[in-house]
Amino acid sequence: MGNNFAMLMDGFQTVFTPTNLMFGLLGTFLGTLVGVLPGIGPALAIGLLLPITLTVNPTSALIMFAAIFYGAMYGGSTTSILLNTPGESGSVITALEGNKMAKAGRAGAALATAAIGSFVAGTIATILLAFGAPVLAEFALTIQPAGYLALIILAFATVGTLLGTSRLRGLVALSMGLVIGLIGADLQSGALRLTFGNLNAIDGIETVTVIVAIFALGETLYLASRHTIIKASVLQINGKAWMTREDFKRSWKPWLRGTAIGFPLGVIPAGGSEVPTFLSYGVEKALSKNKDEFGKGAIEGVAGPEAANNANAAGVLVPMLALGLPTSATAAVVLVAFQSFNIQPGPMLFQTNPEIVWGLIASLFVGNFLLLVLNLPLIRFWVMLLKIPSHYLYAGITTFALLGAYALNNSTFDLQVALAIGVIGFLFRRFGVPITPLIIGAILGPLSELYFKRALQISQGDWHILIAGVFPKVIYGILFLVIIGPFVWNFKKQFAVKK
Amino acid sequence: MDIPQGNSIVSPQTFPYMVAAFASLVGLALIFDVLRGNYGTPDGDLPGDPFTPLNLKTMLIVATAISLHVILLEIAGYIVAAIVCFWGVAYGFGSRRILKDLCISAVFAFVVYFSFSKGLNINLPSGFFDGILSNGK
Repeated sequence: MGNNFAMLMDGFQTVFTPTNLMFGLLGTFLGTLVGVLPGIGPALAIGLLLPITLTVNPTSALIMFAAIFYGAMYGGSTTSILLNTPGESGSVITALEGNKMAKAGRAGAALATAAIGSFVAGTIATILLAFGAPVLAEFALTIQPAGYLALIILAFATVGTLLGTSRLRGLVALSMGLVIGLIGADLQSGALRLTFGNLNAIDGIETVTVIVAIFALGETLYLASRHTIIKASVLQINGKAWMTREDFKRSWKPWLRGTAIGFPLGVIPAGGSEVPTFLSYGVEKALSKNKDEFGKGAIEGVAGPEAANNANAAGVLVPMLALGLPTSATAAVVLVAFQSFNIQPGPMLFQTNPEIVWGLIASLFVGNFLLLVLNLPLIRFWVMLLKIPSHYLYAGITTFALLGAYALNNSTFDLQVALAIGVIGFLFRRFGVPITPLIIGAILGPLSELYFKRALQISQGDWHILIAGVFPKVIYGILFLVIIGPFVWNFKKQFAVKK
Repeated sequence: MDIPQGNSIVSPQTFPYMVAAFASLVGLALIFDVLRGNYGTPDGDLPGDPFTPLNLKTMLIVATAISLHVILLEIAGYIVAAIVCFWGVAYGFGSRRILKDLCISAVFAFVVYFSFSKGLNINLPSGFFDGILSNGK
């Protein structure tokens, strides 16, 4: 514990160099920008900026990515409140009450409780991350390949079945991601799989290409297919973005409860930020003394979910850093960023690259603080961005996405792959198939094969090793609950209704 | 823990077969689900279902702009390809101020080209502008 604290202080020292601070500042700015702009989420933003890993040093780049990660959360709430169009998925709930508050002339208070709540939750969650992740990493060193395989399968199940409106469609997306992950030369035997004679495909499909294409191109095609001229109105802010004493009194408990809900649900892979924000909203509605205000602009309904959203984002980093298992699209891109520096997140990370990982954690604190300081005073500037005509926005996103897909390897093959995946992304949106499971499948698929092979090599081909020992059994037990849980729940509900 | 080459306890085909089995299973389940009338809910907050008519005109323009970018990139260079793509997508999404859009596309393309090729040292095809912009590199 004490040792970790010293390491964290070293991390702060890493961050407080002019270059790194500049990258952190740039990241908070870019992050807020992409959060504010509808259509670009943090995953896409980091994906688009990955080419900078070719020239910028690892610590600075990762500090910037961390700042983008948090910045997007802040920016997303602004768009939700003022435009009623969530800038990113975690802010969907915020729009419910936040936009009503803005319509009632309380935009300032809504923005303030979102920003301060995000800061409080982000800071607490980052403390938990700083002291929890190393403990988890230490435990993870004892996990055998079979245990890892079990963990990945559990992550597949939760990400596949908890996202979106249809469990089955989540699994369809996952299977497609797994197939994409198979393309290319097999790591151990060198056997070519699913390349169909194309030499460009030997190295496999770049994860960044998948992410950029499925988010940017898929989204643009989908919006084009549904294009009608709608004039969205940006609500004005009257007075300062600040809150009264009464607002504070009503906000601080939801902030803390939101943190308590959001962080653990990020650590255990519960699939994205929709679930925790939704839960937090439900809890605040149930506990509130002003129930009649809900639906008309209750500040608790903004404070809780916003805190849950940020705490969740930090929670997702715990398994990403300590186990190397990303469970959200954004965490997946951060993992790819690590990999492009030839750094593999996982149990060894805290020992092999302490300066980077602690610099990253320290930068989360600094970024969070910068966001609080920058966001509220600059709110009018962000609001101006909301007035960019949407056709320029889509044009810019599309062109930049194509650049991101090309610049990684300077190859037109990557661009052709991006087009194909863009079409898949369009079809997914059209038919209600969630996108994150595909990304998780494409990233974790190869990793699961690796652990699968290692386990069987240890046992000389005896498949019993896959369930040998306590740890895999516990994980498969949880997996069983995750799968049958929803059925039992439905059955109980139906039974209760009949009664 | 390096595994020596030629170790063939697990064939490179085993895992793909498992993936294939899983994909076939969920694929079949999806077919039955659709046959039973669950057509899925489109993503996002736009109302509608999978039968809502598509805006084919906008889609076609946007898809053409993207494809032209891919085709033009290595023939005509990044700047031309980016102008075509940016302008085309903006036009597809209903912008009709053709000259203004061309100017914005050009500024966007130049800024991106220079910040990537000079700032980040990422080489993008220069096309026609080769020699004028790249100082004989």
